[in-house]
Amino acid sequence: MATAAISSSKPKKAHRISSSREDRIFDICNYIFLVLLMVVTLYPFLNTAAISLNQANDTIRGGIYLWPRLFTWDNYAYVFKEASVFHATMISVLRSVIGTVVTVFCSAMVAYTISRQDFVLRKFVTLAFILTMYFNGGLIPNFLLVRELGMLGTFSVYIIPGIIGVFNLIIIRSFIDGLPESILESARIDGAGDFTTFIKIVLPLCVPVLATVALFTAVYQWNSWFDVFLYNSSYQELSTLQYELQKILQNSNASLTARTASDAFANANNDAANAVTPMAVRATMTIVASLPIIMVYPFLQKYFVKGMMVGGVKG
Amino acid sequence: MHVKKWMTGAIAAAMLFTVIGCSGGNGTNESATPGNNSETKSNGAEKPASLEKVTFSYFNAAAAAKDINTNETTIGKMLEDQTGVNFKIEHLVGDLNTKIGTMIASNDYPDVLIPDAAIDKVLDAGAFIPLNDLIEEHGPNIKKVYGPYFDQMKAADGNIYFIPFSNVVGEYVPDPSIGQGAFWVQRRVLEEAGYPKINKLDDYFKLIEDYMNKHKDEDLTGFMTLTHDWRFFATSNPPMHLEGYPNDGGVIVDMNTFEAKTYAAADSTKRWLQKLNDINAKGMFDKASFVDNYDQYLAKMTSGKVLGFFDYGWQVGNATNNLSDAAKADPSKDGLRYFPLPVTFDGQKDQYLDPPSFVKNRGIGITVSAKDPVRIIQYFDNLLKEENQVLRSWGIKGETFEVNDQGRMYRTPEQIAKIDETFNEKFGFKYYSWNWPLWGNGSSFPDGNAVSPGVQPEVFQMSLTDADKAILEKYGVKTYSEMFAAPDERPWFPAWAIPKEQGSPQQIFTTKSDEITKKYFPKLVLANPSEFEAVWAEYTGEMGKLDTEQYEKWTTEEVKKLIDLAKAK
Amino acid sequence: MENTPLTASAKTESNKPAGFFTKLVRQRALVLMSVPFILWLFIFKYLPLWGWTIAFQDFKPAKGFFNQRWVGFEHFSFLFQDERFLRVLRNTLAMSSINLALGFVTAIILALLLNEVRHVYFKRVVQTVSYLPHFISWVVAASIVQSTLSPDGIINQMMLWFGWVDKGNEILFLGIGEYFWGIFGASSVWKDVGWNTIVYLAAMTMIDPAQYEAAKMDGANRFQRIWYVTLPGIKPVIIVLLIMQIGHLLEAGFEPQYLLGNGMNVDYSEVIDIFVLKYGIAQGNFSLSVAAGMFKTVVSFILLFAANYLAKRMGESRLF
Repeated sequence: MATAAISSSKPKKAHRISSSREDRIFDICNYIFLVLLMVVTLYPFLNTAAISLNQANDTIRGGIYLWPRLFTWDNYAYVFKEASVFHATMISVLRSVIGTVVTVFCSAMVAYTISRQDFVLRKFVTLAFILTMYFNGGLIPNFLLVRELGMLGTFSVYIIPGIIGVFNLIIIRSFIDGLPESILESARIDGAGDFTTFIKIVLPLCVPVLATVALFTAVYQWNSWFDVFLYNSSYQELSTLQYELQKILQNSNASLTARTASDAFANANNDAANAVTPMAVRATMTIVASLPIIMVYPFLQKYFVKGMMVGGVKG
Repeated sequence: MHVKKWMTGAIAAAMLFTVIGCSGGNGTNESATPGNNSETKSNGAEKPASLEKVTFSYFNAAAAAKDINTNETTIGKMLEDQTGVNFKIEHLVGDLNTKIGTMIASNDYPDVLIPDAAIDKVLDAGAFIPLNDLIEEHGPNIKKVYGPYFDQMKAADGNIYFIPFSNVVGEYVPDPSIGQGAFWVQRRVLEEAGYPKINKLDDYFKLIEDYMNKHKDEDLTGFMTLTHDWRFFATSNPPMHLEGYPNDGGVIVDMNTFEAKTYAAADSTKRWLQKLNDINAKGMFDKASFVDNYDQYLAKMTSGKVLGFFDYGWQVGNATNNLSDAAKADPSKDGLRYFPLPVTFDGQKDQYLDPPSFVKNRGIGITVSAKDPVRIIQYFDNLLKEENQVLRSWGIKGETFEVNDQGRMYRTPEQIAKIDETFNEKFGFKYYSWNWPLWGNGSSFPDGNAVSPGVQPEVFQMSLTDADKAILEKYGVKTYSEMFAAPDERPWFPAWAIPKEQGSPQQIFTTKSDEITKKYFPKLVLANPSEFEAVWAEYTGEMGKLDTEQYEKWTTEEVKKLIDLAKAK
Repeated sequence: MENTPLTASAKTESNKPAGFFTKLVRQRALVLMSVPFILWLFIFKYLPLWGWTIAFQDFKPAKGFFNQRWVGFEHFSFLFQDERFLRVLRNTLAMSSINLALGFVTAIILALLLNEVRHVYFKRVVQTVSYLPHFISWVVAASIVQSTLSPDGIINQMMLWFGWVDKGNEILFLGIGEYFWGIFGASSVWKDVGWNTIVYLAAMTMIDPAQYEAAKMDGANRFQRIWYVTLPGIKPVIIVLLIMQIGHLLEAGFEPQYLLGNGMNVDYSEVIDIFVLKYGIAQGNFSLSVAAGMFKTVVSFILLFAANYLAKRMGESRLF
C-alpha cells in the first residue's frame, strides 16, 4: 500500500495535473487535521506525565497542564519503593507474552476451521463462540469454577480462562475469508493436510491481523488486574504490576485519611510536603503501567502498516 | 488436571506455619514488657500455654496498607515474642462485596477477618465462631476492657461473634482538632472583622459578604460546597448541624422523645437551601460546586480565593495541610488558612463534636476456618494489656515517647520528626492503630495519659504554630474543639451506623432519597429567587412519594433499642 | 472480497452428498483443531450459566444453592416497574447508538486518512500518538474532561475571549443534562478513535495494490479511489464488527457516565449499569444484577440475529 501511495504522488499524465492540485489540497488538509488530532490526543498523556513529575502536595492547587511546576521524582520513588513492584512486573510480562502467544495461536486455529465453508461443524462452532460474547454466568459461578478446577493460586488462571477471545476469533476469520482462494486451493492440490495448510499457508498470510490481535491481547493481559484480585490476591508471588499499583493507590488514599486524623499531630506526617496524594499516585501509575505496553505498538506496527501479504501472494 | 491438589486460602496459610518448636524465651514474659512504663502494672493475665510459633491469616477489608507479616514490625515482633503468634495481613484491594461474596460462596475464610461494611453478610453466613466461651476461658483482659459493652456486642442469639473497636476505656479525652463538621472561614476574614464571635448562620454569611464587598477586585468566591459523588452529604448534612445536632446521617433524633425524623424535606433544609439560593443571587456562591469533582474542590480551597465552606475536617485535610505548609514557609499566608466556627441557625447550642460512640456493626472476628481460635483469642487478650496498649499506641519509651516529671507522656520534636510514613510501617503503628481489639480512640490510661498520642494535650500544643496560638487566644480557647459545645450523651450515636439489611426498604429509601436530593439541590440553589418556592414544592412532591414514615419508624425503633441496651449496662 | 471465498471447494464437496459422520471423519483434522476449544468453551462459558438461577432467587451467598429462597420474577419486576427504568434504558440506547455511529464513522475516517499519508514515519507517529488516550483510565480522562469544561476551563475561557459568554455567566457544561450525550460521545471518540482504527488499518493491508493501479488507470481521483477501492476492501470487516457491536447496544459503558454524571445531569447520564450498581451491587443484591444481565442478553440475542439476518438479506458478509 505504501508503494501504491508513493506511486500516486508522481503524476505523469496530463489529466493528472488537476488531480495533483486536488491531491495537494487534500494532503495539506489531511496533515493539518492529523497534527491537530495529535495535539488533542497527546495532551492527556502529557498532562498525566506532568502531574506525575510534580510535587504531590502542590498538585492539589490545580493548574498543572503540560509541565510540572515543582519538579520531583518523589512520586516515582513512592511507587518503586515497594520491591514487590519488580517481581510483579515480571509476572505481568510473563502473562502478557504467554497469554498473547497462546491466545493468538488458538484463536487463529479455530478461526481457520470456521472459515472453511465445507467444515461440517462450522455453523455450530461459530455460533457457540459468538453467543458467549453476550452473556456471563456471573462472578460467583466463575469463581467457584476456577476453584473447583484447582486453579486458585496458580499462574494458569491468567491464561486458561482467556485462551480464545471471541472478538479476536471473528476478526481473524474475516481476514481468512478475505484471502484469495487460489492460494488455499493450491495448497489442497499439493495434498497438504488441514493442519499443515493452517500452519504453512494461513498463518504467514495472516500476519497483519495476527499482529493486531496480538496487540489487543497483550494490552488486555497487561492491563487486567481483576482476575488477580479475584483468584490470586493471597498469593503475593503471582501478583501483577497493575494489581500492585492498585494496592499502592489504595495505600496512598489510606495514608491520606490517616494523616488528617488527629493522630497526624503526633508524627511527622503533619508536614505534608513529602507526602503523596492519590491524584499524584494515579498519574504516576498511569505512566508506569502504560509506557511499557505503549512501546509494544511501534514494534508491531510494521506488520500492519506495510502490505506484507501482497508480496506473498504474488511471489 | 490436578483437581483437589489445589491450595485453599487456609492451606496456604498452613504452608506458612513455621513450626520452630518451643522458642527458648519461655518464662521471659515479664521482661518482654515493652512499654517499660513505670506506671504499668502486671494485671495477672493467663500466660499462653505454649509459645510454639504459629502464623494466622488476617484479612482486613477496612483499611489499606502494604501486606506484611506482623512480626516484620517492631510492635508485632515484640507481641510475637510474648505469644508466639504472627499474623499474615492481607488488605482488600478491589470491591468489598465481591471479595466477601467469594469467601462465603466457597466457604474459605482467613483465620481472622475484618469484613468492614459486609459484616452482616459474614454473620449471615455463619462464618464467625461465637467467642463467649473463649473469652470466658482465655480473655480476662477482654472481659475487663469490653465488659461494659458485652450487652451491646451480643447478637440476637446471645452470642458475641466479633469485637468492635470503638470502645472507650478510662476517662474520655476529647479530640483537640476538628475532624468533624464545621463552618470554616479564612482567618483573614476574621482578622479584618476583628475576630467577632460568629455562631449564627446569617452572621456567618454577613461576615463573608462584608469581606467580599471590601475586596471587590480580588475575584473572590464567598462560599462553595462539596457535592461530588458519595461526598454529597457535605451539602445535605448542614441543616442537621444548624439545628444543633451531631452527625446522625439522614435523621435528627429528638433528645426528649428519641423520635428519629428525616430532615431532607423539612423546614431546616428549606432554610439552608434558601440561604444558599440567596447568596447565589448575590454572586457569593460558586455555581460550579454542583459539577466540580473532589480534586477541583480541593484545588479551589488551596487557591486561597474561597472565603468559606462547610465540610468535615477529615475530608479537607489534604487541602488544609497544604495551606498550613504554605503558611509555615511564608507566615503572611496564614490568613488563607481556615478556622472552624460553631454556626447554628439562631445561635442555639451547637453539637458538631461527636459524642463518645460505640460503633457496634464493625469489628474483628475469628472465622470457622481458623485452626486454633484459642491462640488467637489469647493474642487479642494479651494485646489488651495496658503495657501493650502503650506499646501499640505510643511505642517504646526513650525511642518514640518520653515521660516527664509529672508522669505525662509526650514526644520530643525529634521523635515527631522521626515518625513518618516509613517509620509508621516499620515500627507497626500503622498496623496496630485500629482494627484490633484495643482501647479505642478517646480512651485514657489509669494515670490520665491519653491512649492516642494525637489527643494528648501536650502533643497537640507542640503542633501549634505561633499564628495558631494567636488566633486561638483571640477566642479564648486552647484547642480548636473548645470553640464548640461539649457533646451531649447519645447512646445511639451515630444513627447512620445502625445496620440496614441489604436490599431492605430502609436501604432503598436511603438510595432513592439521595437520588432526589442530588437532583433537586442544584435546582433549588441556582434557581431565580422568585422561583424557589415552586421548585421546593416540586421537590417535596417527589420526596413525598417515598415511604418516609416507615423509615423514620424503623430508625426510631432501632434508636430505642440502642438506648435500652445502654441503660442495661 | 465477498464473503464466500471458498464456495468453490464447498460446492465440490457437496456434489457427493456424504453422511455427516463420513464427513466428520474426513475432516478429523479440523475437528481436532476446534472441538477441544468447544469443550473449553463449554466449561468456562456455558457451565457458569447455572448462576442465572440467582436471578430467580433471593440470593444469599451464605446459603448454598439448595437453600435459597425462590422468588420467581420478583427481581425482573423490580427492574421493569421502576419508573426510572425507561429513562435509564433510553439513556443507555442513546449513548450506545451515539457511540456506535460516531465510533465507527470516526475510526473509519481516521483510518482512511492515515492510509493516505505517504510519509511512513509521520504516519507511525500519528498512529502511536492517537492511540495514547486509550491507555489513560477513565478516572484520569474524566477529570481532564471536567476541568476542560469547568467555568475556568479552556472552553469557557475561549468563549469569554470571543465574547460569546460574559464573565460570571460561564456555561456549566456538565450541569446541563441535554449536553451530556454530546459530551459523552466526544469524550469517547477522543479516547478511543486511535485505538479503533487499528483493526481497519490491518484490514487495509489486505487490499491488493493492483486494484489501486487499475483505478488510477481509469482516472479515479483520491476520493474515488477511497470510495471504490479502500472502502469496499474493508467492508467485510466493517460489517462483521457492526453486527457484533449492534448486539452490544445495551452496553453503553459505565465508567464515563458514572464519573461525569452529577445531580444536574442525572436524567441524561444514568445508564442501566449505574442503576444496577445503585440498587443491586451496592445493596449486596446479586440477584438484581444477574436479572439485569439476563435482560441484556435477551435483547442482545434479538439484535444480533436481526442484524445478521439483515446483512444476509442485503447480501453482505455475515457474522455467522
